[in-house]
Amino acid sequence: MIENSTTKGIGAIALMLLLGCFAGAAEAVPSFARQTGQECPACHVSWPELTPYGRYFKLTGYTIGKAAITSDGPQYLPMAIMAQASVTNTKNNKTTDPDTGDTTTVTQRNNSLVFSGGSLFLAGKVNDYLGGFVQWTYDNLATVTNGTLGGHSSVDNIDLRGAYKYSPVGAGEPEWVFGMTLNNNPTVQDPWNSSPAWGYPYTTPPLANTPAAATIIDGGLAQQVVGLGAYAWWQKTLYVEFSSYRTANVMGNLFRLGLPINTAGGVYAINNFNPYWRLAYSHEWGPNSVMVGTYGIVANVFPDNLNASGPTDKYQDVALDAQYQYISDEHTFTAQTTYIWEKQKYNASYAAVQDTGAGLGAGPTPDNATDTLRTFKIKGSYYFQRKYGGTVALFQTTGSADAGLYGTNPDGNALTPNSSGYIVELDYLPIQNVRLVLQYTGYTKFDGGRSNYDGTGRNAGDNNTLFANIWVAF
Amino acid sequence: MKRTSCAMLALAWVAFAGATCAQDVASIDPAAAKKAVELCSTCHGPYGISTSPDFPILAAQREGYLEAQIDAFRSHSRAEKDAHDIMWGIAGNLDPAIVKGIAQYYAAQPPAPGRVQDPAAALARGKEVYDKGVPARGIPACATCHGPDAKGQSIFPRLAGQHASYVVKQLNYIQSLVRAAPVMHGIVKDLSPEEIQAVAYYVQSK
Repeated sequence: MIENSTTKGIGAIALMLLLGCFAGAAEAVPSFARQTGQECPACHVSWPELTPYGRYFKLTGYTIGKAAITSDGPQYLPMAIMAQASVTNTKNNKTTDPDTGDTTTVTQRNNSLVFSGGSLFLAGKVNDYLGGFVQWTYDNLATVTNGTLGGHSSVDNIDLRGAYKYSPVGAGEPEWVFGMTLNNNPTVQDPWNSSPAWGYPYTTPPLANTPAAATIIDGGLAQQVVGLGAYAWWQKTLYVEFSSYRTANVMGNLFRLGLPINTAGGVYAINNFNPYWRLAYSHEWGPNSVMVGTYGIVANVFPDNLNASGPTDKYQDVALDAQYQYISDEHTFTAQTTYIWEKQKYNASYAAVQDTGAGLGAGPTPDNATDTLRTFKIKGSYYFQRKYGGTVALFQTTGSADAGLYGTNPDGNALTPNSSGYIVELDYLPIQNVRLVLQYTGYTKFDGGRSNYDGTGRNAGDNNTLFANIWVAF
Repeated sequence: MKRTSCAMLALAWVAFAGATCAQDVASIDPAAAKKAVELCSTCHGPYGISTSPDFPILAAQREGYLEAQIDAFRSHSRAEKDAHDIMWGIAGNLDPAIVKGIAQYYAAQPPAPGRVQDPAAALARGKEVYDKGVPARGIPACATCHGPDAKGQSIFPRLAGQHASYVVKQLNYIQSLVRAAPVMHGIVKDLSPEEIQAVAYYVQSK
């Protein structure tokens, strides 16, 4: 079995390298590069992290360059492909039941070369005011029936934009950029890499034991909602955005196509329109740029996604973030940080337990009427000639102890969602379309504890992973 | 002898290229001005005064030089890394009328002020090389073609106020033949790294 998966993985990597070679020879780079005629470093420090020009490209609606189809006919293929293959080593991949002594495997295909999956992008400029991208992702390691792994594909990020630049007579640069975004993941529309959707880590082990708790804005609603937003960017300094999200059960479920919408707990269902905001101040001087900002969402969530009616639980996420970039030809240093504070008000779930003694939906059901969850992330990266890079990151999640959500320890005390750790990563880009990643993730606390956090004697550090990955985009 | 040859070559080039001069901003093709304001300014800054030294200051640059460089990007005859990665795509999407208008737009902008960031000794050495060249090694004065105040002449580019690190980068490209500029290569091929840095500091200060 392992031999078979390894063979498949080697085949996948060979194919990816072959495609990478063709990409280099033909200068065939992802579709935005074909649209602009520019190479990856124009917009990316290291993909997906954006340069100032990349942020301008995004906020002006992906409209720089040629439209995919003009009156002269097709100009370029507005499509791109991305794929990843990897080997992951989990430090201790066995766990032992203290009662029976039975040993089980924590993650599948540990130490095996696996093809993680890939994405197909439809991306490009429609005209001088409209542009966008749609990502469709195939996960080769999706969990299917009975815990076995298999391929599954579904819609990934979508960001469709319209933008208008206003430049008064005599201005040296646009005074205002006004825009609208239609997307399916709160923060996917953000041009800074300190917010969750495009924040670090940019890729993670596809098969690893990871902490259970995360704030709802930190990927919780991704590909389950659809939002329409309006923004204004003044003198490339002050950015204000307001969006409104709803369950993506519109337009034939296009914005959540392929997700388990008929499975209890498979997706979130939110009530009516839920506000999202973003405010950022940025400044550029010399080769430096800095941003400080805030973003957040208020999401009213139905406890049972299969019965989207009645009272809802309320998640209020308020976040602060900041970014610094120093970009020069030889040396590039970038840093991002964010702090997300989430208030969870279980107006529906907790009340139901009080009334009936049973929760709603797939659960888990909280034991508290309200909880809090706080996430802090910070990372710094250095790249030499945009080719050799290194990153160090810290992360921490803390929150209320809640036996209903997180269980109890052997003494019967409610567990917390507390997790913390670090990431150390090395990157090498032999060509701009290929990135080799060696990433180590270490946990100092995991799902509420440092040692014996799950009652089976397992320690936080047992979940440490070493991840070697090849990532190709063309 | 070499200085005389250079001057004659420069005069011939001027005669061939024709005289160019900055024109009134108001008379510039509005479509070209719009492109400069809404696209070029992203990297080259408002009115062509960039903040990042990775991107050259274009304000008050010679019109003929600007047009020639954009054409060089369009034809891929200028092929250093930044040209390849960024400017080929940008310039490739411009039609010739817009190129001319963009060149006129930046030529008509007020120049960037000079900026001093270096020890006085380097400035003095830079001024010496700029004004007099290095006669002992047959290196002619920069001022011969770029003008006594480094404001450029005809299609010879303005250097005054340019980012020093950008000037160093381009001289290195020309020295190593990464950037094809036969006349300049012959002139700067024997400049030392210290002389290049000093000249760059000097022209930035002008």
